[in-house]
Amino acid sequence: MATIRIPTPLRPYTGNNGKITVNGGTVGSALADLTTQFPDLRPHLFEGDTLRSFVNVYLNEEDVRHLQGPETAVSPTDTLMIIPSIAGG
Amino acid sequence: MLQLPTQLHEQIKAHGAKSYPFEGCGLLLGHTENGANVVEAIMPAANTWPVEAEKPVRFQISADDMLKAEMEAMRRDLDIIGVFHSHPDHPPVASPRDLAWATWPGYSYIITQVWEGEPTYSQSWQLLADRSGFIEEEIVESDD
Repeated sequence: MATIRIPTPLRPYTGNNGKITVNGGTVGSALADLTTQFPDLRPHLFEGDTLRSFVNVYLNEEDVRHLQGPETAVSPTDTLMIIPSIAGG
Repeated sequence: MLQLPTQLHEQIKAHGAKSYPFEGCGLLLGHTENGANVVEAIMPAANTWPVEAEKPVRFQISADDMLKAEMEAMRRDLDIIGVFHSHPDHPPVASPRDLAWATWPGYSYIITQVWEGEPTYSQSWQLLADRSGFIEEEIVESDD
């Protein structure tokens, strides 16, 4: 069971829990399990079937886009972090 | 509501002045309490918007700085609760770009006007739940 750290604004959708343990052997399946456990979270992370453009997922401090993306393997001791891209004008 | 120690507000204003004529930016660290975002620390960041000529009207915080802020927040048992940036020579009102690139409802987006290099005042905004716009939130300053 890997752990996902939930950003503060999304904690109302996870029962105010900042860390959620999830099943799944890959980043994609871990995120799928997260949004199965907490369906109201899904629209804040996904647009259709893809992650929203500002949503970045880090595995042990490495952006999974620089690894194997959703296919990146996750072990039970791993921590995933959801970190937004910030920009504006 | 955004609870903001006066000295941290002064640091946010100073960062905006230092960044002029570009937009200055950074992150708010703290916690939530009874629906309010309570600021306990700020982390100024470099404006990494890739087009220099657009930096007076655009800002971007790098992924590296976001990761560092998240790690620092975890180390200090705090959370990232919002974003600050400056509007050089423009009112501190959330812009169409701020809306287009906004992340999640719940973060405080505090904007400071910097007029001819001098910081004037700030307003804080929160994204509406349906992402259709921003609503202003009260800034409550404190001495601690």
